[in-house]
Amino acid sequence: MSTTAWMVVAFLAVGVGIGSYLLSITARRRVLNRRLEELEGRSPHS
Amino acid sequence: MSSSNTQQSGLDARATDSKVRLLGVVAWLSVAVALGMMFFVARVDDFNGPVQKIFYVHVPSAWLAYLSFAIVFVSSIAYLRTESRRWDLLAHSAAEIGVVFTSLVLITGPIWARPIWGTWWQWDARLTSTLVLWLVYVGYLLLRGLSTDPSRTGRLAAVVGIIGFINVPIVHYSVNWWRTLHPVGPTVADPVNNSGFEAPELATFFVALAAFTLLFAWLLAIRVRLGRLADDVDARALVVEGLRDPGPAARRSPSPAGSET
Repeated sequence: MSTTAWMVVAFLAVGVGIGSYLLSITARRRVLNRRLEELEGRSPHS
Repeated sequence: MSSSNTQQSGLDARATDSKVRLLGVVAWLSVAVALGMMFFVARVDDFNGPVQKIFYVHVPSAWLAYLSFAIVFVSSIAYLRTESRRWDLLAHSAAEIGVVFTSLVLITGPIWARPIWGTWWQWDARLTSTLVLWLVYVGYLLLRGLSTDPSRTGRLAAVVGIIGFINVPIVHYSVNWWRTLHPVGPTVADPVNNSGFEAPELATFFVALAAFTLLFAWLLAIRVRLGRLADDVDARALVVEGLRDPGPAARRSPSPAGSET
C-alpha cells in the first residue's frame, strides 16, 4: 500500500470518527425529544 | 413564573441556538479551509512522503484530548466545591469528547506508524501512556453510565476526573523523560522543533489547530445541550410520576434542542 493510501485511510478514519460521534448525539437527542413529548402528553400541567 | 419570564427564557434559548449554529458553521468552514491547506498548501514531506500529512490531524486531535481532560479536571474541582450540576455536566461532556479525540490519536498514530516504522504499535512510553489515558477516561464514562445514583456518581466521577488528569503531563513529557520511538517534536507548544517546517506547513498546522479547536467548542456546546435535555426529561419524568413538584424549570417547555447538527 502506498503512503498516499495510508494518508487517505487516516483522514477517512478521522471523518468517520467525528461523523459517528455526531450521529450518536443526534440519535440520543431524538430519543430524548420523543420521551419528552410522551411525558408532556401525560403531564398534569399539559 | 410570570409569562414575561417564560417569554424571556424562550428568547434566551433561541439566542443560544443561533450562537451554537453560527459556531457550527464557522467550525466546519474552518475545517474545510484546513483540509484545503493540508492538500494544496502544505508540501509533501521529502523523507516520509504524503503519509506525513497525518500529522495535521493527529497532533490537533492530541491537543483536543489534552484540552478536554483539562476541562474535566477544572470542572471536577468546581463540582466538588459547589455541587453545581452545570460543572458535572461540563466535565461529563468534555470527557466524552476527549475520549473521541484520544481514540482518533490512537487510530491515526498506528496508521502513520505502519508504513514509517513498519509496525502498527510499539509499547513505548508515549503510546502506552496515551493508551492508559484513553482507558482511564473510558473507565470514567463507564462509571457514569453504570451508576444509578446521580449525586454519588458525580462526586466519584469528579475524583476520577481529577486523578486521571495526572496522566496528561506524563503523556506529553513521556518523549522527553524516556527514550521512545515516537518523534520528540514538533509539539503544539513547539511546532518548529525537529520538524523541518517552513511557512506553508506552519500556517497549515496552526489553521488545522484552530479549526479543530472550533470544532471542539461546537461539539462541547451541543453535547452540553444534550445533557440539559436529558436533565429536563428526568425532571419531567419525576413530575409525571408524582414524585416532585414541577417547579419553573420543569413547567417550561424546553426548546427543541440542537437543531444545528
